[in-house]
Amino acid sequence: MAESSGTTLMDLITSDGSSSKPPSASSTTAAPPIDSGANIMAPGPPVPMTVERRSKKGTLMQIQSDTISAAKAAFNPVRANIMPQKQRKKPVSYAQLARSIHELAASSDQKSSQRQLVHHVFPKLAVYNSVDPSLAPSLLMLDQQCEDRTVLRYVYYYLARILSDSGSQGLNPGGGIPTPNWDALADIDAGGGVTRADVVPRVVDRLSSEALNEEVEFHPRRLQALKALTYAPSSNLEILSKLYEIVFSILDKVAEPQKRKKGIFGTKGGDKESIIRGNLQYAALSALRRLPLDPGNPAFLHRAVQGVLFSDPVAVRHSLEILSELATKDPYAVAMALGKHVQPGGALQDVLHLHDVLARIALAKLCHTVSRARALDERPDVKSQFNSVLYQLLLDPSERVCFEAILCVLGKFDHMERSEERAAGWYRLSREILKLPDSPSVKDLSSEEKDAVPPKASKDKSSKIRRPQPLIKLVMRRLESSFRSFSRPVLHAAARVVQEMGKSRAAAFALGLQDIDEAAEVNTFSEKNDSYDPDINPTAPSEGIRRVPSISSGMGSKDTVASLLASLMEVVRTTVACECVYVRAMVIKALIWMQSPHDSFDELESIIASELSDPSWPATLLNDILLTLHARFKATPDMAVTLLEIARVFATKVPGKIDADVLQLLWKTCLVGAGPDGKHTALEAVTIVLDLPPPQPGSISGLTSIDKVSASDPKSALALQRLVQAAVWFLGENANYAASEYAWESATPPGTALMMLDADKMVAAASSRNPTLAGALTRLQRCAFSGSWEIRIIAAQALTTMAIRSGEPYRLQIYEFLHTLAQGGVQSQFSDMHTSNGEDQGASGTGLGSLISPMLKVLDEMYSAQDELIKEMRNHDNAKKEWTDEELKKLYETHERLLDLVSLFCYVPRAKYLPLGPTSAKLIDIYRTRHNISASTGLNDPAVATGISDLMYETSKSRVSDLIYETTKTKSAEPDDLDDDLVNFWAANLGDDGAPAMNRVNEFLAGAGTDAPDVEEENIISRPSMSYDDMWAKTLLETTEMEEYDARSSGSSSPDSIGSVETSISSHFGGMNYPSLFSSKPSSNVSSQSKERQSGSRYSAYEAPGSPIREEPPPYSSPDHQRYESFENPLAGSGSQSFEERRPSSSNPQFGSALYDFTAGGDDELNLTAGEELEIEDEVDGWFYVKKKRPGRDGKMAGLVPVLYVSTS
Amino acid sequence: MLLAVLIANSEGNILVERFNGVPPEERLHWRSFLVKLGADNLRGVKNEELLVANHKSVYIVYTVLGDVSIFVVGKDEYDELALAEAIFVITAALKDVCGKPPTERLFLDKYGKICLCLDEIVWKGMLENTDKDRIKRLIRLKPPTEF
Repeated sequence: MAESSGTTLMDLITSDGSSSKPPSASSTTAAPPIDSGANIMAPGPPVPMTVERRSKKGTLMQIQSDTISAAKAAFNPVRANIMPQKQRKKPVSYAQLARSIHELAASSDQKSSQRQLVHHVFPKLAVYNSVDPSLAPSLLMLDQQCEDRTVLRYVYYYLARILSDSGSQGLNPGGGIPTPNWDALADIDAGGGVTRADVVPRVVDRLSSEALNEEVEFHPRRLQALKALTYAPSSNLEILSKLYEIVFSILDKVAEPQKRKKGIFGTKGGDKESIIRGNLQYAALSALRRLPLDPGNPAFLHRAVQGVLFSDPVAVRHSLEILSELATKDPYAVAMALGKHVQPGGALQDVLHLHDVLARIALAKLCHTVSRARALDERPDVKSQFNSVLYQLLLDPSERVCFEAILCVLGKFDHMERSEERAAGWYRLSREILKLPDSPSVKDLSSEEKDAVPPKASKDKSSKIRRPQPLIKLVMRRLESSFRSFSRPVLHAAARVVQEMGKSRAAAFALGLQDIDEAAEVNTFSEKNDSYDPDINPTAPSEGIRRVPSISSGMGSKDTVASLLASLMEVVRTTVACECVYVRAMVIKALIWMQSPHDSFDELESIIASELSDPSWPATLLNDILLTLHARFKATPDMAVTLLEIARVFATKVPGKIDADVLQLLWKTCLVGAGPDGKHTALEAVTIVLDLPPPQPGSISGLTSIDKVSASDPKSALALQRLVQAAVWFLGENANYAASEYAWESATPPGTALMMLDADKMVAAASSRNPTLAGALTRLQRCAFSGSWEIRIIAAQALTTMAIRSGEPYRLQIYEFLHTLAQGGVQSQFSDMHTSNGEDQGASGTGLGSLISPMLKVLDEMYSAQDELIKEMRNHDNAKKEWTDEELKKLYETHERLLDLVSLFCYVPRAKYLPLGPTSAKLIDIYRTRHNISASTGLNDPAVATGISDLMYETSKSRVSDLIYETTKTKSAEPDDLDDDLVNFWAANLGDDGAPAMNRVNEFLAGAGTDAPDVEEENIISRPSMSYDDMWAKTLLETTEMEEYDARSSGSSSPDSIGSVETSISSHFGGMNYPSLFSSKPSSNVSSQSKERQSGSRYSAYEAPGSPIREEPPPYSSPDHQRYESFENPLAGSGSQSFEERRPSSSNPQFGSALYDFTAGGDDELNLTAGEELEIEDEVDGWFYVKKKRPGRDGKMAGLVPVLYVSTS
Repeated sequence: MLLAVLIANSEGNILVERFNGVPPEERLHWRSFLVKLGADNLRGVKNEELLVANHKSVYIVYTVLGDVSIFVVGKDEYDELALAEAIFVITAALKDVCGKPPTERLFLDKYGKICLCLDEIVWKGMLENTDKDRIKRLIRLKPPTEF
């Protein structure tokens, strides 16, 4: 036994030290040892028990020929050839056991063969849990001939195994060691094989006739035969109807209530007849319970109701279970059929004291279903009777029953309950009063049934708890005492009940249920609504739930719901100290659910933080808690920020153990749910992850501080990095949403006014206009510089997303930043600004140049196309020409091309997004209308199709309709309902297949998850998140698609390029001229540029001062414009200092020319005519002070003009 | 549904298993999960002290009795407390059959009877008989209530 690791279960069993057996050592070597442990790990090919090593088929053949020949022998008693030695050989193979059965069944020597069977053959065969069909004839023979009860019991056992469906490949439905694949075995020789199909009818026939055998001597066998029959597959309709027939024919005879006093379980005294009756009732109802429910069948219901009166407690249990299931289908019929059973003194009241826990559980469910049934709204009396029974179960001595009753009161029944039901449940629990009816049966039974109910509870019942009690007090007291239990299942269950309580409470608050003031005293609730006096009508049917003036106020307590809850939660919190991690997890879930949005969550946070520091937490449990946060959020969106703060603890403490997808989804849903006011805070809570210092390997200090990262091993460090990546991606993906800043939201170019300002003022204005977006931008810029390489990549992508989605000046700001990043020369300057994460970032650049180029190119193309559009429009305006169809077509094609391009980077709503700027809307609409082009091609949007973005997921309709309202001002032709469709589509997409995390959350919310757990420890490392990895892969793909860019960025990647850093920074950060944009792309857009611009377009905002369309970059040395302040944030410190020095002095006048006509709006302003030569003296807040070569028509020589109107040379 | 009853020896070899409604491909996972759970937590646990675990919406209650560890797995109405009832019935029946908390040898010697007991306790995924005397009668092919 000690060295059993190398032996099979059969070895273990057969190696017993019984006297007549040879020593097991010799035999274990004879047979190939099969490790049952090996079976555990790999239930591979079956047939482990054959002695010889052969091919699988050979083995099967061997077994088959063995069994068949034995079967033949068995049918021919004359040739019976008993070989008792065979059984002594050990370990025995299945074939040997099978042969023994055949032989012993046919044996003439009943006594010895029975002994053999009972002591050797059947027990060993039990290892397989199932037997093959070829044994059926012998078993049936034994069934007919044998009289030994133990043998017969085994025969019924094995016949039931044969009847039950066997899986393929020898896997039994019930488990156990795999047996040979009978059917495959039979196929080998279809002629001689015995298949299930052959034997099942015979077995069923035999068992059926036995089940109907009314002989008194046959009584016990009859019960077992019926039981074995229930194992027949329910898919076989013929057998099924036969079974119903048998069961109902038995019930027809025994189910009718008798006049006599019915026998009470446990008391000897019933006569033989009534005992047989009781046994048959039991057997029939047990069988009925295993048969499929037949809701429409009145006989079914009728018999089930009669079952409540049966003397056998198990029969009563089954009937109640059947009834509670039927009640979910047709509560009215069940309630009517139960009739007066539910009334005081009725059978259901007796069940309250039945010594069968499961029966009382079923009673609770039944009462709950009936008392909440809509179908019974017109029978409040019936409902309240059932409710009364349910409330009485709250006093049940068994925790299981009491908890079930609490859950029922709370409105939890299955996983499908509606939140109204839960809210009402909380109301009931916190408001209603239990008053026990003065039923005589309580006293009688509690004195009679000392066994059934623990004496202490009975005493409680008869004395103290008789007084009306608020439910909440009862429940709280009960839970508190359960939390003092030493039993872990009790603790676990109690915590679960508290969790459900929290769910109902949350639902009540969410629905804004009136009258749930928790500060009110619980004993006084009832006084107002009490409709009748208990003294007048003491046996009123609805006594159990009526609200009576509190009598228990004599206790002198002033309990409020809040105070009761507070004391309960105190006990719950102490349970966190439980040794069992599963109990702790449940407690934490309960705490999360009981947390309300306005309470301080410091305590909860610190509990979680200290718990997470315990390395023994399995990943699955942690993820469960994370999913609980989801569920909590769903119930109370107000808690978004609180939950995000808690989620942050997970992100920092156990980054390696949690599912990054689920965490991200939590971020997203919380962000969406945080509402307009909370969005900023929510985004902050997410991105706080980015502000964490990099993990310090090996550091164990401050384990309980939630602001320290605990990623002490490389695995967690890696996971943390992934999480940071996820956060960066999330930020880019959602910043626009959180900031409510969309390029397509407003009909006016957002930058117009701002662009007039000085650069630094623009940034200031940008951040004051939208601090959320500005903050996100700053964080991303910092990440793009200081993170690890992976994070920098994601940050660059995130920035691109933001650039594409945001209006000006953000787009421009990002554009410039990306430019710098592409050049990369500055990296070394900033690398020491932040604590290094240990990665060698190299002396050269960000290494992102090649990645960023396509992103820049998109922005370039957008800007230049916008310029061209403006130019074209001006031309048309000046010439007073209509747009020709050809021109419109060209414009539309550019629009579509840019849309496609943009969509490759991030999701944008195609119907709304205007890569050419808001001015293009009208023209594109004209073209669309003219050519009948639908704008709803968005569904084919590659970004949508690949599920990259669900930016608009769950966007409130009001926001969408606002948006429509705004946009339809300019785009009247656009179908208004499109947006809703799109939103729905995205939402549906997200729910259906898109996100694995979503599935997980939905599964969790639906309470699914009976799938087997994974035990592989390796799995705890977080999987790479689907969404941003996809995006990453996509970008790589596109980089190759859009290979036109050159590899300029590599130029600065040598260490000695540091010297030129400053210059390149200034050229970019002062870079109103985008000096290098087209320098290496000679052809594409150059032809479109023109210095002869017409004024008058207020949409020139997209043009940066100094249009990107410029043949030659200005020399790096020209310190013309100062836009670098926009990058002070990301490049804080020494970096920006160097820019400061670049600030131009106004001593050297510059020259330029007027781009457009400008009409002076004030005395100090100067009229301009396009093309005029100017001398620029100074610049103030977006205005140039210029001097003309000669006075204009108004005679003025000098004055202020907007920077944008002047092209510097 | 009472999804599984599993009895293993102290080395984690499975002696008895009964699954109900668990697809064959998932049994392997359950076996290894339960065996690991036992190996991690059952050291030094007193006889019949109940331990609890859960996986998603599935509950597990397990304990040790003599040389064997017993695991029961359930969902829905078979929550941790109902499983505690079930495991209580199983341990009572085992002690009854073996006469004491079983050694592994004793358990194996009584293997057949134990299987019959389980057959009376769990019937198609539902807890059936809970009274040990009744179970004793039923495995001897006597009626549940004798006359």
